[in-house]
Amino acid sequence: MAKNRRIRPLSDSVLLEGRNIWTVNANPGVAVRGESLRKFRGVEHRRWDPNRSKLGAGLLRTRNDPSNLLPQPGSTVLYLGAGHGTTISHLHDHLCGRSNQHRGRLVAVDLAPRCLRDLTHLADGRPGLVPVLGDARKFDAWGVLIPSRVDWLFQDVAQAGQVEIFLSAVRRFLSKDGIGLLSLKAASERHQDGGDADIFAGAIAKLSDEVELVEHINLTGFEDQHALFVIRRR
Amino acid sequence: MWLWYSWQSAAVVNEDGDVLDIEINDARFSVHAAKERLQLVASGQMPPEAIILAERFPEAKPIAHGSDELPEFDVPQPTAIQIEVADEAALLLAKEGVAISAADPDRRLEHLLRASEELRTLHLTMEARLIEWVGLFLPSARFETNRTQVAGKLRDVTSLSEFASLIDVDDAYEQPSDSEWKALHDWAVMVSNQGRQLDRLEHAIRLSAQSHLPSTSTLVGPLLAARLCVEAHGRSRLARLPSGTVQVLGAEKAFFSHLRSGTAPPKHGHIFMHPWISRSPRWVRGKIARMLASKISIAARIDEFEGTPMSQDDVDQVEARVEAIRKEFSKPPRR
Repeated sequence: MAKNRRIRPLSDSVLLEGRNIWTVNANPGVAVRGESLRKFRGVEHRRWDPNRSKLGAGLLRTRNDPSNLLPQPGSTVLYLGAGHGTTISHLHDHLCGRSNQHRGRLVAVDLAPRCLRDLTHLADGRPGLVPVLGDARKFDAWGVLIPSRVDWLFQDVAQAGQVEIFLSAVRRFLSKDGIGLLSLKAASERHQDGGDADIFAGAIAKLSDEVELVEHINLTGFEDQHALFVIRRR
Repeated sequence: MWLWYSWQSAAVVNEDGDVLDIEINDARFSVHAAKERLQLVASGQMPPEAIILAERFPEAKPIAHGSDELPEFDVPQPTAIQIEVADEAALLLAKEGVAISAADPDRRLEHLLRASEELRTLHLTMEARLIEWVGLFLPSARFETNRTQVAGKLRDVTSLSEFASLIDVDDAYEQPSDSEWKALHDWAVMVSNQGRQLDRLEHAIRLSAQSHLPSTSTLVGPLLAARLCVEAHGRSRLARLPSGTVQVLGAEKAFFSHLRSGTAPPKHGHIFMHPWISRSPRWVRGKIARMLASKISIAARIDEFEGTPMSQDDVDQVEARVEAIRKEFSKPPRR
């Protein structure tokens, strides 16, 4: 059965095989969160679990070309709200590759020391990953690590005012025509009478004011009460 | 006019984005030096390059790279090697920050408190099993009044018969096998050790709470103070909570059921374990809880903002209020 699945590359190191995503393991032999490892044509890949990664879920759900959601390998990208590093590890596979062969830089900011503990361990085997212990809103403290604007920015912070934080990060760090992804958790925003739909509608209005909204991806099923917004800076 | 600075360079920029003056350090920094500079900038201070420019342009407003205020301009770029060194330094900084986070008393208190909770649950379950187990073999023994001593006595004997004579009951009609007795004895040793371990844990919680929350500890006792602090997710949050929230901390289930379906609101959460409330008649508990919660809020704020800690006198005054409320409402309200 598996033989008949169509394999479609999204980039040099990301494969879409049916409903599974695989990335070339930049740290061979090591599974970050116990995900399956498998060889395709002799190269070890790690399974990107869409239930654990909103970016992974977005790649499966988008109606556009999923490779547009990924940054250019070898570029510098900014990731706010890095968490324990599941998405980060796959992003690193794509962006930097083994021993950072693509010469990418992945600046990953998170506020929680517990998350940073996992991220620093991850960074030890993955050159190009730069973990930063800091508040995603306080750009002054770590902004010097992003000397020029980036073409790709991802935000996944579970705190009130996510859209405002995202927009100010976009203003500050995203280049013109750069792609920004905002993973919005409705439960983190103040409760509204219209429920989650109203929160998402409000976010769309605020985003469209300032940037070009490319897509609104509903993540229900992978991650309830979440949506992924894809924007392009004008 | 702004004085823009990064960790190794600085520039003076006017409103139109023209660079008036620039200082770039293109040296090969060691990771250690880069780390110190990153720390400097993160703490809101300026690197030496910016200080030079600040002397030349005292009217320019210093602003770190990454701030929103600046106009668009050609930002001076660090060299590739400098970026590499900065990344290594950032990793070191992150590791340092993670290591330092262990200094946070809130985190430490939480582990202590949750450990004692988990151990207590385990202890009670295991103790109940032990008593049922022994009771099976010694049906004439009654443990209702001295449950807590069973484990300690069992650990010091070498056979079930010896235990039976120690507590003065009929010996077992049906003896456990050797291996069975060993398993039972091991179980008793473990239960008895848990008792001591719990004492040590609570001692550690008391010491930690007394230094982290001196006023709250004086007012309501260190164990309750610690619990409130942990449930509020830290001292600084406890100090900022309205006292109405402090009053019902730990009664979330009842509270949200009240909000959702209009059941009676809870009168007290964790503070119920304080004898001023739990030993008061039912009809004054809500009043005392409300008063006590407000005093706890004050105490927590004294702790957080390092004011003069509450003295025994202050506590006596609160106790006098408790007495006054109890006296004023000494009779249950008529239905």
